[in-house]
Amino acid sequence: MAALGLIALAAAFTLASWLGWWTIPLLGLIWGWLHPWIPIPERRAAEPPSRPAAEPSSRRATLTAALAGLLGWAIWLAIDTLAGGSGLGRLGPRLAGTMRQPLPLVLAVTLLFPALLAATAAAVGSVLAGLLRPGGPPAGAGSR
Amino acid sequence: MRAPKLQLFVSAVILGALLVLGFRGAGPLPPLGPLLDPANGAWALARGAEFPRQAEAPIPGLTGPVQVLYDDRGVPHIFAANELDAWRAQGYVLARDRLFQLELQTRAAAGTLAELVGPRALPADLADRRRGFPWAAERAYGSLDSTSQFRLAALAYADGVNAFIGGLNRAALPLEYRLLNARPARWEPINSYYLFLQMAYTLAWVDPALTRLEAQVLVGREAADALFPITSPIQEPIQPNGQSAPRYDLTPVPPPGPPDSTALVALRQQRSVETFLGRESEWSSAELPSRPAAQPSSRRGSEPLGSNNWAVAPQRTAAGYALLAGDPHLDLSLPSIWYEIHLNVAGGPDVAGVTFAGSPGVIIGWNRDVAWSFTNTGADVRDLYREGVDDSIRPTRYRLDGEWKPLEVREESVRDREGRVLAIDTVRFTHRGPLVEVLGHWRSIRWTPFEAKSTGEEFLRLARARDHVEWLHGWKDFVGPAQNGIVADRTGTIAIRSTGRFPVRPDSGRGDLIRDGSTRASDWIGYLPIERYPFAENPPQGYLASANQQPVDPRVNGAYLGANWYSGWRALRLNQLLRADSALTPDAIRRMQTDHHSARVDRFVPFLVAAGASPSAPPEARSAAQLLESWHRRYARADTAALLFEAVMDELEPLVWDELVPPRDPRADTARGLGRPAVVPEEGVLLRLLADSTSAWWDRRETGPRERRDAVLAEALRRGWNRTVERYGRPGEGWRWDRVHHTNIWHLLRMPALSALALKADAGPGTLNPSPGSGIHGASWRMVVELGPAVRAWTIYPGGQSGNPASARYDDRIPRWLAGDLDSALFPARAEELPAHRVRARLTLLPAR
Repeated sequence: MAALGLIALAAAFTLASWLGWWTIPLLGLIWGWLHPWIPIPERRAAEPPSRPAAEPSSRRATLTAALAGLLGWAIWLAIDTLAGGSGLGRLGPRLAGTMRQPLPLVLAVTLLFPALLAATAAAVGSVLAGLLRPGGPPAGAGSR
Repeated sequence: MRAPKLQLFVSAVILGALLVLGFRGAGPLPPLGPLLDPANGAWALARGAEFPRQAEAPIPGLTGPVQVLYDDRGVPHIFAANELDAWRAQGYVLARDRLFQLELQTRAAAGTLAELVGPRALPADLADRRRGFPWAAERAYGSLDSTSQFRLAALAYADGVNAFIGGLNRAALPLEYRLLNARPARWEPINSYYLFLQMAYTLAWVDPALTRLEAQVLVGREAADALFPITSPIQEPIQPNGQSAPRYDLTPVPPPGPPDSTALVALRQQRSVETFLGRESEWSSAELPSRPAAQPSSRRGSEPLGSNNWAVAPQRTAAGYALLAGDPHLDLSLPSIWYEIHLNVAGGPDVAGVTFAGSPGVIIGWNRDVAWSFTNTGADVRDLYREGVDDSIRPTRYRLDGEWKPLEVREESVRDREGRVLAIDTVRFTHRGPLVEVLGHWRSIRWTPFEAKSTGEEFLRLARARDHVEWLHGWKDFVGPAQNGIVADRTGTIAIRSTGRFPVRPDSGRGDLIRDGSTRASDWIGYLPIERYPFAENPPQGYLASANQQPVDPRVNGAYLGANWYSGWRALRLNQLLRADSALTPDAIRRMQTDHHSARVDRFVPFLVAAGASPSAPPEARSAAQLLESWHRRYARADTAALLFEAVMDELEPLVWDELVPPRDPRADTARGLGRPAVVPEEGVLLRLLADSTSAWWDRRETGPRERRDAVLAEALRRGWNRTVERYGRPGEGWRWDRVHHTNIWHLLRMPALSALALKADAGPGTLNPSPGSGIHGASWRMVVELGPAVRAWTIYPGGQSGNPASARYDDRIPRWLAGDLDSALFPARAEELPAHRVRARLTLLPAR
């Protein structure tokens, strides 16, 4: 299920990027909202009766979003590399050069940027959901 | 995890920072989101690097479908039903390949660069406004009536450009816009006019008065006139003078006279004008490592913006057909200044060649009957006038013939990208042109390109010419800057005419003087009639050639056209090669275009060798002379003597022209104890000195005994040898020309990553294949056309058709250009004639609904 979620989210990021890069944090936020933060002791306590055992933790939701964000844009680059002839090969060094950075770093930034966007947005969404959604943790929860 | 609120806070802060980086960028960083996004950002440019095999696009105003076939060289062949549709399509395909260049080039003339690149362009924008470019463009464009061909063409062209901009998807936005965080502006028809102004500025914003004044201050008027003469000492004119060999007018140069301090004020003012309005104000991006040290004062075989063109009559070609060649030498850039195109109008022009991004039609090229090319005449078409004004700070009137005349006043606002006003300047104009204040004095400027109304229309006419007569007629009203237009037609006729307005001045007729503006008697009294333009048609010698030399022998036509002509080195070599071959082929012409033998070296080396062989010459001078003597005098990549020769000539300059070194020269080279001359005469004048071994100019002021020629040459050899050894080690591989001298093709924003730098070429200063100075100039286009039963053409330029760095066509022509190769250009009369295997993409342009 976790793998499926990752694939679905990565696909969503890939498709939504067509509309604009800003869809990454938006989807991340929604993803986080759908996976609310629950304090560990309470989750442990609540798991058997009220939550499915496989309910991912907030951290897992954040990591999934990060990985999916990275994959979402990597898919674009992969498609362009496969379908676009050597255009990407020509562009990469030149684009990196305009930024005065080595190509591997620019590629890394290109992939880390959506990953960080998705992850932080998912974390925000998750915590907000945990705090605001009905059934969320009580006030003061988690302050162990 | 400690607390949800802390986690929320930390995540939100990071997310916020990422969003700021994504939407706004930081410092020099453009917004990262739209830049890095692989779907629509910079990476997406790779997806659109090559055109789809089939595509359609709408253009408003189009009267019918236009078919555009891109061949395997990336050249669009446009097949349209009428000329207006062809120009609409031309605007569209240019925008498709060169959108950023279109905008940057015209903004550079319109004084609106800051709106694209930000405040760093403010000085350049202000200079444009002060030069009166917007004033001239608006005046000229506004005066065109609704039937003007140029106006119609510019409007149609704008339709095409704007149709592309309107349909531009985010993924196709050129990289430069992303880096600048800008969007393409709507294209205005007047932009085509700005483009011609920019070209005129590049070619003809010069005034020989400055250099002559610099010399006059130091060595007096008589010597200055001799050092910066109106006529060239080397006479190998464009208009043949009936001689079978060049003529050298090597009369002695008058000795240096006492400094003329009375000229100092005029000099300071002239310098200030140039600083205020001239190239010192040019914009350069922060990315640019300082523009390679130009040598504005030196004319050492390195005049950058020269060009070659020549035509050979059928009796001197192997196939019996006229041949025409052209290679304009301009700033090399990526994308190239040129774009290759073929426009085929049903029942109308069928023309191919190159155009500027932003100009309807073809500038240099061929049609089914004629071929043509241009070189810059270098005429003196700009004058300065001393003006009297009613208020030294904010004048509103100027004095003319004893009366006060109102000044035309414009408020010029330079804005940034957000539309904020960066600066407001008041620009004033007399009836002559822009008025500028320098050091408390007011000067007005008259310049022929300001008087052009229809520049651009001539090029549209040339496309329709059916023979040389129609071509010459279509070209006769061209205002400027004057060009040596060469033409050959299928009947075998060859002709050349230096065309453009040549001002006729009162009294001495010279344009290298600052004139009194208080009277109309100082104004130009007209223009040279076309009958007196330098001209030749089917000369007995069987060929015509121009390389920016003085166009007409002053013994044949004494009219003042200009001063300080380029050294005739390329003209000498070109004529030498053309005289030597009476069965020329297109391939022989191609080899001539890339010839790197130096006529300049031919003239100077014998003197250097003789001086170095003297028993009194120091050992280093002898070594240098021996190496130069064995040199084949070509600037080939593997050459080891070219470097030495250039070093010797560089050392010779301050030794010979030490009288032209200003006192307390801030440029003084303390290491060598020598300053550099403020101005250096063209090398033809040095040739005059070499013919006079006892001239007073050979004497060095810093030494006691009076030197003669050979002693100074030997000293230059010694210094040149030592300098070369010091910098590059002992003679050998380290002295290879291609290790030291390179061709550098900079991107328009001067970003190294998008440029092609340190290229190795067989080329040097003053050779037919030129590469002077820092290697940023050169043959921007090479073309050979054979005017046989079917016109055939071979072409190349250093760059590629696409402005997209992800495209294979961004710089694909550079290796062949460096190798001296030409591509065979396709010139199909109908779309069906274009071989299917050479068609790479089809674009159908349709009337917009």
